[in-house]
Parts: sequence; C-alpha cells; structure tokens
Amino acid sequence: MKGVNRAQASWMKGERLFATALVAPGVIALLVTTTAPLVYLLWTSLHAANLSMPWVKGFVGLDHYVHMLGDGRFWDSLRLTAIYTVTTVVLQVLIGLGLALLVLQIPHGQWLFRLVAILPIVLAPVVVGLFWRTLMLSPSFGLFDIFTTQVFGRSYNWLGDPTLALISVILIHTWQWTAFAFLVLLAGLASIAPDLYEAARIDRAGAFARFRYITLPLIRPAIMIVIIMRAVVALSAFAAIYAATGGGPGTATQILNLYAYQTSFVALDFGYGSAQAVALLILTLAVSAALFRLRRPKGWA
Amino acid sequence: MKGLGRVRLDRVEKYYGGVSALKTVDLEIRPNEFFALLGPSGSGKTTTLRLIAGLETPSAGRILFDNLDVTDSGPGERDIAMVFQSYALYPHMTVAENIAFPLRMSGVPRRELASLVRGAAARVRIDHLLDRRPSQLSGGQQQRCALARAIVRKPRLFLLDEPLSNLDAKLRVETRVELKSLQHQLDVTTIYVTHDQEEAMTLADRIAIFMDGEIVQVGAPAAIFERPATLAVAGFIGSPAMNLVRAHADGGAVRVGDTIIPCHARIPGPPRDVMLAVRPGDIAADKQGLPAQVYVSELLGETSIINLKIGAELVKMRVSGGSPFRDGEQIHVRFDPDRLHLFEPESGKRIEIEAEPKMRRSAP
Amino acid sequence: MTGRGLRRRLAKALITACATAILAVWAFPIFWAFVVALKSESEVLAFPPSLVFTPTLRNFIDTLVGRFSILPEMGTSLVISLVATLLTITIAVPASYAFARLRLPAGKLLGFYVLATQMLPPVGLVIPYFLILNSVGLLDTYQGMIVVYLTFSLPFAIWLMVSFMEDVPREMEEAAAIDRASRLKTLWYVILPQVRGGIAVTVVFVFLNCWDEFLFAVQLSGNRVRPVTVAMYNFVSVEQTLWAKLSAAALIAMVPMMAIGFAAQRHIVKGLTVGAVKGGGRR
Repeated sequence: MKGVNRAQASWMKGERLFATALVAPGVIALLVTTTAPLVYLLWTSLHAANLSMPWVKGFVGLDHYVHMLGDGRFWDSLRLTAIYTVTTVVLQVLIGLGLALLVLQIPHGQWLFRLVAILPIVLAPVVVGLFWRTLMLSPSFGLFDIFTTQVFGRSYNWLGDPTLALISVILIHTWQWTAFAFLVLLAGLASIAPDLYEAARIDRAGAFARFRYITLPLIRPAIMIVIIMRAVVALSAFAAIYAATGGGPGTATQILNLYAYQTSFVALDFGYGSAQAVALLILTLAVSAALFRLRRPKGWA
Repeated sequence: MKGLGRVRLDRVEKYYGGVSALKTVDLEIRPNEFFALLGPSGSGKTTTLRLIAGLETPSAGRILFDNLDVTDSGPGERDIAMVFQSYALYPHMTVAENIAFPLRMSGVPRRELASLVRGAAARVRIDHLLDRRPSQLSGGQQQRCALARAIVRKPRLFLLDEPLSNLDAKLRVETRVELKSLQHQLDVTTIYVTHDQEEAMTLADRIAIFMDGEIVQVGAPAAIFERPATLAVAGFIGSPAMNLVRAHADGGAVRVGDTIIPCHARIPGPPRDVMLAVRPGDIAADKQGLPAQVYVSELLGETSIINLKIGAELVKMRVSGGSPFRDGEQIHVRFDPDRLHLFEPESGKRIEIEAEPKMRRSAP
Repeated sequence: MTGRGLRRRLAKALITACATAILAVWAFPIFWAFVVALKSESEVLAFPPSLVFTPTLRNFIDTLVGRFSILPEMGTSLVISLVATLLTITIAVPASYAFARLRLPAGKLLGFYVLATQMLPPVGLVIPYFLILNSVGLLDTYQGMIVVYLTFSLPFAIWLMVSFMEDVPREMEEAAAIDRASRLKTLWYVILPQVRGGIAVTVVFVFLNCWDEFLFAVQLSGNRVRPVTVAMYNFVSVEQTLWAKLSAAALIAMVPMMAIGFAAQRHIVKGLTVGAVKGGGRR
C-alpha cells in the first residue's frame, strides 16, 4: 500500500514545532493541575492517612479497598448514587423534551422561555440547595409544607424523612438542570427541517407517528449527549445536596461523592476517603465509556 | 522577485492513504500562458492545482517553477496567488483590508498600501466598495474582491479554482470575458481549473484534459476540438457534445446499421466494430442517407437542435433557424465525410485515418 | 373561521397556557426568594405567610454594605474567577487551535486525555489538593484557589474552543498561507478574529463555573480568602437560619450571574448546544 512516501517537507516540520509550542503550556498545565493530584490521590489511597490518628501511617496496600468492599455504608451510598443519577437524568430528559416540544409550537414566545430557562442554570448549586432547604421544604414555614397542610391537611417531613429527603434532593437537582436539557433539545428540535414534517403530513402521518418516526430518531443524538453530560454531573453532584440535607438524615442522601467527602474532611480519614474517591472516579469513567459506546455503536466516528 | 512564470510537473503522483488521486502527471506550462485544467469532478484537476499551489505535497515527482525545485516549499514561499472556489475572503476584514492583507504579510510599507489596494480594486471595478465587509457584497462582487486580492501582489503565478461556478449563468459569461481581458493586461501565467468545457475552450491558450487522475490530452482548444484524442474527450468537448454512434469499419467503408457512410479516408486494420463520432453541426438532412426519426426539437433562437433516433441511438443535429420537422417525422441524414472521427470501442483511443487527398477537395 | 382553524387556535392556546403554567411554577422559587428578601425576619416566620406586607430593603442594605455585608467575599470571588478565566483562555485558545487544525504529534491521544480529565469528579481532586496545599502552605490563599480552579476550567475550555476552531473554514488558512502569512500571523490576524464569538462563550462559561463553585471553595479557603458561595453560610447556623438575610445575600451574590445570563443568553445557548453536537463535557 503506497502512502506519502517522501520525506517530510521542511515547512511541514516547522508546522509541527509550532503546534507543539501552542499545545505545550496547556498540556503541562493539565498534567500539573490534574494528573499530578490524581496520582497523589491514588498514592494516598494506598496509605494510612488519618489526621485524627496521626500516629498511624505507612503503606497499607489495598487495605482500604478491601475495607470498602465490606463496608455496608459504601454499598448503600453506591445504591443511592445509582438511584439519584438515573432518576434525575431520566426526569430531566423527559420533562425537558416535553417542555421543548410544547414551546416549539409557540414560535413567538420562545425567547421568554429561553430567558427564564437560563436562570436556574446560572445559579450556584449551593444557593439552590439553600433556597429549597429554607424557603420550599422546611417544616412549618416552607411553601411545600404550607401547601400540603392547606390542601391535604397533613405535613410531610421533606428533609427529615429518609425517603422524602432522597426525593427532595432529586427534585432539587432536577429543578435546576432540566432547563439545560430543555435548551439543548429545543435547539435540536428547531434544527429539524420543517419539510420533513410537511412531507409526512402529506403521507397522512398523524402527530404521534410524526413524533415517533421523524422527531425521535433525529433528536436521538442530542438526547444521548444530554444524558452523558447530565449523568457525569449527577455522579459528582455535591453542593446542592450538601446545602439541602448535608447527606442526611443520617446517611439517607449520602451519595458516594458525599460519603467520600465526609470520610475525608469530617472523619479525617484521608486514606479511606481517597479510596472511595478512586472508586467514584472508576465508576464515572465506566459509565461515560458505556454511554459513549451506546451513542456511537461503531466506535469513535 | 519575478521569474518568467514557467511551471513544470515532473512525474508527479498523489496518493491519499492507499487511494490514488493522481497517476503520473507530466506537464509543462509556458510563461504568460492561460492554461486550463479541465475535467469532470474527481478527475484530479483540483488536486493538481493544489499541488502547484503547495497546499499539498506530491507523493512522488517534482514541481519546478522556472527550473527551481519548489516541491518542498510552502505556499507562502512560491510567490503565487490563488482564487478559491468559495473565494475564502476574510469575513472580519473590509474589502480594502482583504486586498491589503497579502501586501502586509509581505512587508510592504504602510504608506504604499492604499494606492496599491485602490489600483487593484479599480482594475476589477470594485473601488467603490472598499469599506464594505464581504457579507455585504453580492456573489459577483465577492468574486472580484478575491481577484483583487490575488492580483495586488503581481505574483509569478495566478491560480484559479473554478472561480465562476458560484455565479449565475449570465454573470458567468460576462465575467469570463473580463477574466480573459484581465489576464492579457497582467501578462502573468494563469492556471485555471474548471469542469465547464465551454469555459476552458473560450478562455484558455492551452488545455489539459483530466480523466480518472491522469491527463488524456493537452493542446490548444482548436486542436482538441478538431482532433479529440479519446472517446471520452470527444464526448466531453463541444456544446452540444459530439454524437457517438456504433459503427462497423471495413477498409474504406464505414457502416452504421445497414447504411454505408461515405468517408473520405482509408481505415487501417482489419474489419471491426468502431465508435463513430460526428458533431451536430456536421450532420445535415438529405434525400438519401441514414434513416432517422425526429424525436424532439430544441429551438434555441438562431439555431435549433434536432434530436434524432437512429436505430436505438439518440443523435443530435444542428440546423440554423427554426425546425422544419415535425416530431415523429421520418427523414434521412448524412454526415460530412471529411469531418468523421473514429475510435476504438474498448480503449477509447482515436483511430488515425488516412485521408484520401483527391476526395477531400471534392467535398460538398 | 373554519373548523380546522378553530381547532388549531384552541390547541395553540392550550399549549401556551400549559407552557406558561410550567414556566411560572418553575420560576416560582426564585420569585419567592425575592419576596422573602423583602420581608423582615419576623414577618418571614409569620404564619400563614402573606403576600401582603410592608416591603423593606433592610435586608439588601445589610447584606450589601451593612453588618452582614458580603461585598468582601464577592470581591474575592471576582478576583479568583477573573484571574482563573484569563489564565484559562490564554492557555486554552492556542492549544485548541493546535488540536483542531495543526497536525499534532500524538494528537488523538492528547485529545482523549483532555476529554478524560473533564470526567474527574471534583471530590477526587479536592482531597489531594487539600493535602498538597496544606503541606506547601497555600491553603486559604488566592494563588492556591486560582490554580485549583484551573483544573476544571482548562479541559472544558479546550474542549469548547476546539469545536469553535473546527468551524473556521480550512480555505481561510490556505488563503492566508498563500498570502505569505506565517502560522503565527495566520492565527492572530485570521483565525482569532473569527472565533471571537467562541471565545466569548468560553469566557462566560468558565467565569460562571468559577463563581458558582462550592466544594473547592469551602474546603480550600478559610478566613482570609472566602468566595461568595461560602459566604452564604454566614446566615446559616445550627441555631437559626436568617431566612430573609440569606435570601437577600444569595440574590445579591447571584445578581452578577443572572446579569451575565441575560446579557449573554445567546452565547450560553450556543455553548450548550455546541456541547450537544460534539459530545462530552461539564455543565
């Protein structure tokens, strides 16, 4: 098989040098700020590093990991992570898509919806968490409680009951980030050529058929991207949950992210906490890889 | 730094991965010549232009400008100018800044810029648009801006990649004439890529015809018109193109179907099937000759093209004025015996026929 | 009006009503925060809550310039976010050009690397950073915070800018090369002006992410350097939460973000959808 079989032209060599020079600062910065700490994380996970018991130190190999696998709380947090991630992503996509489909029919008011949708996205998650904790969900004075006592005659302990607390944090996360799915899917829907729908109408396809055979397949790539991006964010969600429930009551909303945080910065067991963080990292990479493969079944396009 | 503007491609080849885009190309372009690279899409003509420009490097062979080997030089070092099919104007710069850009990059002092820019713009008649942005110009004006940017530097070589294909038909024909005149004024070697044979025939001093990654014929337009080297070229050049008809040759006679076509030449070789090519203008209606049925007439104003069915084949005949025939009418036609071309059916190669001298003078 | 036309109008009205209702419900929490911020603390805890009250600007004044002022913390956030954003852009833009356009040695591998660094959960970084910064004495400093903020800003910015760079037509660069522009001049005079919009989008997102960040802020800062997200906890303690002041402070802290959101909304939507077209990424 013949290819370019002559030596590199001298001006092309200059280009390579230039490219390397441009990229070098970025790569070095990344290596220093990201990869180095990661390596340190791995290293820490193999050592005993409990600041509340500073006399205990040294290499412990995979002890932390073994302990983790036997730790009930770890598996619990994993379960919570799974529930949290799947539920929030599914809700975001469903509501976001539904809203986008609705708003698409109102070409004149779309700008207003887009404007309002930007609001939750730009807020700091910690602020969102605090708002919901106080204004919406707190007992007696929160709006939810006032609503339920007036309408249903009973009070729900949104933040104190384990199940309700999980529902609450899911609700909060969904409230903030559905707008993202909405905006992306709205843009995706708008990019479908209207001719396709007109042709389908002429072919006597009803609204549902048009949705199923034209809209869904064409918007599938956008949906996949939204799923991947939101899943990664959900796996590492921190501020809103921290602000709203702090991981509680007890450990009812302590997803793996928060458990690792608690182990490290509250219990001060950095060794074990690092191992948990590594586990979360592996989980995130695995989920992303799996989702990417789903998106492009033939591999990297 | 201006040489004569002679360009030579020496055994140039180009591969992309394992796929051949250009098989061995040998080409010589003379100074100040208007040279066209003509061919259908994918034939290798644009690849050749890009190799000459230095935007790609050849997989094998050399490229020489005025006997200087430039194969390893970048595009900026070759002292060339190029007009892209999409014009590639810098959208964030005004017309004046676009035209001035190559001068600035060459280090021309600022005070000289304005007059040079105005000069180039005036030549292509856009000097009243200097402060506009490309997005505010019409297609034709954008094209002229690209031209101005190319000529302002007085380059050694002027390359054009299908510059007229984005214009509407009428504008295309008008701009064609202006381009030819511009090239004469500037006196610079010009290499012009196009798939439109009419463009190449009217503009170029010489044409290289590309098919499937190689050059099948090089020559002046008249020569190509008179003696196409292959069947493919015959079917490509001319509007409308030559008619290609299956025939049988036997020594001095050519037979289409059952009719003998008079041909003032001897056909060498054994009796065999050939392809007969004849221009629509060289066919005329006659009382005797090849039986044909009128299929459809196209009235073009000063001339008309009569589409005929001869056996199973469609043949076009040109007549002046309107069509004297009705659709479906049975007529007879004859081909001008001095103006027949014969080709091998499989290879497409031209069959050289020896004209019989005394016959030629008595052609009607 | 034909039957069909009437049906269509009705459907449209219904859809509009539905969408507007959803919109109102969605935006309500923010609206309510505003209402609460205008009440006095005692009014907030009154039961049942009413929309009828005498609004007061006391809370806003207190949290802005008064006793509970969060202005210093906003200044801190501003410095950190601004410097981090500037550094990020300076590094990411040239790097993204190299990725997108130039033939880079090991280009694909580096591309994967940048993508992978985007997937890192912050908790995995805050632990080593805490330990590292602690040992070199950079906890609770501006330098420490800025470096840490680069970790999530850089990969994201590179990834965003690469897609904008890829949108520049190749012929533009070829024309510049023929016009004798060096690679550097091509980047400066031809490419950069054309990706101005992309740079704006990236700046907005990076700045937004830095300002709103919490985990790194709360763990790696202290009394000297305190970003505004941490300052929210000035109003929250075990004994009581100062609702009205919290709402006022939070709103004030978020006003810059909301302003940017409104002003740059087209940029934001563009940034989000760019992500959706090319894959991967944060936010």
